[in-house]
Order: sequence, then structure tokens, then C-alpha cells
Amino acid sequence: MSIRPFIFRIAALILCVSLGLMLFRGIAALPVPEKVIGPASHYLARTARETGARNVVGAILFDYRAFDTLGESTVIFTAVCGIAMLFSRRKFHRSSSGLSFIAKRGIGIMVPFLLMYASVIILFGHLSPGGGFQGGTIFATVTVLLCVVYGSSFESQYFPPRTKDILESGGALLFSGIGLIGLAAGTGFLSNIAAGFPAGTFGSFLSAGSVPILNVAVGMKVGAGLSTIFYSMIKMLDAGHDHTEGGIPG
Amino acid sequence: MSLSFMIFLYVFLIATALVISAINDILSAVITLSVFGILLATAFAILQAPDVALTQAVINSGIVTALFLVAFSQTEKPECYSEEEEE
Amino acid sequence: MILLSYATSITIFCIGLYTIMTRRNLFKTLLGLALMESAVLLIIVSSGYIPGGVPPIAPFIGQAVNPLPHAFTLTAIVIGASDIALALAFIVKLHRHYRTVDLDRIRGLRG
Repeated sequence: MSIRPFIFRIAALILCVSLGLMLFRGIAALPVPEKVIGPASHYLARTARETGARNVVGAILFDYRAFDTLGESTVIFTAVCGIAMLFSRRKFHRSSSGLSFIAKRGIGIMVPFLLMYASVIILFGHLSPGGGFQGGTIFATVTVLLCVVYGSSFESQYFPPRTKDILESGGALLFSGIGLIGLAAGTGFLSNIAAGFPAGTFGSFLSAGSVPILNVAVGMKVGAGLSTIFYSMIKMLDAGHDHTEGGIPG
Repeated sequence: MSLSFMIFLYVFLIATALVISAINDILSAVITLSVFGILLATAFAILQAPDVALTQAVINSGIVTALFLVAFSQTEKPECYSEEEEE
Repeated sequence: MILLSYATSITIFCIGLYTIMTRRNLFKTLLGLALMESAVLLIIVSSGYIPGGVPPIAPFIGQAVNPLPHAFTLTAIVIGASDIALALAFIVKLHRHYRTVDLDRIRGLRG
């Protein structure tokens, strides 16, 4: 009976190796491009004129393919709803003491700079690499840090779950509202320059029409969503671990 | 970037993936997943993709590792099933 | 160099697949899934690389790399993180119900 797992492992190994060889033969037959062809060449050539944004990837995500970004925000929203529903039985949180005094003071000095860093990444998403997703995740990381260092009851006192709900729904409504403005102007859902948003001067902060506003909306949504996910999973941990430090042991 | 540096980075990436797959302690595997995420972000930066590198570094080495650690520490505490209703 | 990236990512994909197929611990399964997702991201990004290219931030100094795979990859990273979070929530609930995260024992308890 102890030989059957061994045979299964050998068979799995043979399957994975043969699958890898066949995949490599298929992928190596693709040609290596010398220059960009297809829709990507249109995006590279026309982004500065048609959207006014410098970051081509940000312009693709929030202007040319903004509808796909709306769908992705919905995926995050669904995951947050599912997790909050799975852990909804607990409606209480005990207090935990957090880490030592030195850690608390040190992190207390660092947190404003972290928040400023996250805001810069969101707001300058149309000029340099960055955008709503990256900055929103850094906001969520700041709340994770506060949970670990100060205890989850402190974090829920300063960022209560109702505020996170309102922020997340507000981000989704802002995104849809910008789209409906384009629809009301007669040029189509989520259109940018054609709907009347000012293009501004190329390379300045106030440019690219509705791309900064969509960045802020997505940043709010992603940040609040990921923070809610973490808080749902950690609030029960503190209930049984009053003698260890913080939310994550070790 | 020189080819030898790319080869070194990719060998390191494959070695980290083997460690994640083979090690038996879950905590060490999760920390190694964080290392894997940072190495992959370096590979993305060398492939001239700064947006993707930033997103990969923040999400996979920040949020996913934290969630793994929280879930893992939930499943190793002694079972306390009497607290279905509290207060 | 692009062929090297393809070979590495296919190797990591197969390592992840082997981890999912042969490991009993549910956390190991999820780590294998994370490995497979990361391998696919590397394939996508390295398919848009042009040798001697610059990042796609206007104005370009030379030939810019393909920006479309970067947009796909951003979406894929965030969705991957969401589904790993949901799977972790399921594992915690399973542990609450069956008191173990060992897949063989969970299957044995049900059958």
C-alpha cells in the first residue's frame, strides 16, 4: 500500500516534464518581434495626442480599455464581499496590546510618509509608472502595518469598517459616474477627451482628462477592499491570543 | 543587462520555486514565496516593465504574504469551537 | 534572452503543477497555484519585450516595448491576489469545520 503514492508521484513527474517540453516547443516557434505591430503601435504613436497622458500603460488601462478596469474592480469587490460574508459571524473584537513601545513610536513617525508615498503614486499615475492599483495596495499595506504594530482594535478605531465600506462603494460609484458623464455627452461610456474632459498641457500634473480621477477612484476601491479583507481575517485572531503580541505571532 | 546576470537571476528564481515546492514547513514556504515575488519584480524591471514590477512587488510580497501568514496562524491555534456565540 | 525567459517560466509552471498534484497540505496547494500564476505573468510580459527597448513612458528615446502585455499583467496580478485571498478564507473555514488542513483526511472524513 505504500507503493501507490510513489507510483503516483512518478506519474505526476513524467506528466509535468512532458507537458513542459511540449509547451516549450510550442512557444519557441513564435517569432521574436523586431518592432511593435498591431494595436500596440497605434497606442504608442497616438497616446500623447489622443489622451494627453505620458504613461502609455495607464492610458490603456483607464482610457482605451477603461471598461476592462471596471470589470476588474468588480472582481475585487466580489472577493471582498465573499470574504466578509464568510467571516461575518464575529461581531466583536477584543483588544490586543501590540508590539513594544519602541516599535510603536518608530512606526508612528513613519506612517505619514508612507501615506504620502501612496498618494503620490496614485496622483501621478498618468505621468510616471504607478496608478490606482499600486497606490491603493500601499494604502492597504499601511493599515496592515497599523494592525500588526498597534493591535486590531486601535486600527478599527481609526479606520472603522463603516468608513472602509463607504470608501469602497464611493470608488465604484465615482468610476461609474465618470462613465455616465461620457454617456450624457453623447460620445459613449467612459470616453475621455471626446466627452469634454480637459486635456491640459502635456506632461503637467493637471492633464489627461479623466485619467487622474479614475486613478483616485480605483485607488480608493482597491485600498479599502484589501484592507477589509485583512481586517476580516485578523479580527478573530486577536480574540484568542491575548498573551502574544500583535495580530501575527512570530 | 548582460546575459550572465539574467541567467543568474533565472537560476535563482527556479531554485526558489523548488524550495517552495519541496519544503515541509509552511511558514518557511510562505516567506520564500515573498522572496520569489521580489525576484520576479526584479525580472520584470529588467524586461523594461516598471508598472508591472511595482505592482508585483507590492501585491505579492506585501498583501499576499500577510494574508497567508494570518490564515496559517488561524489554523495552528488550539481548536476553540465553543465560541460560536459571544456577547 | 526571450527564449531563456520562456524556458524559466515553463519550468516554474511545471513545478507549480507538480506541487498542486502531489501535496496533501492545502496551503501547499495554494502556494503551487501562486507559482503557476507567477509563471504565466512572466510569459506574458516577456512576450512583449523588444531587444534594446525602453519602457513605454512618452516621450520615447528609441523603440518602446509593447505596452499591451503590461496592461493585461496588471489586471492578472490583482485578480490573482483576490482569488488567493478567497481561497485562504475557504481554508480557514475548512479548518474550522474539519479541524485539519490535510486533504487526505478531509476526503476520508467525508467518504
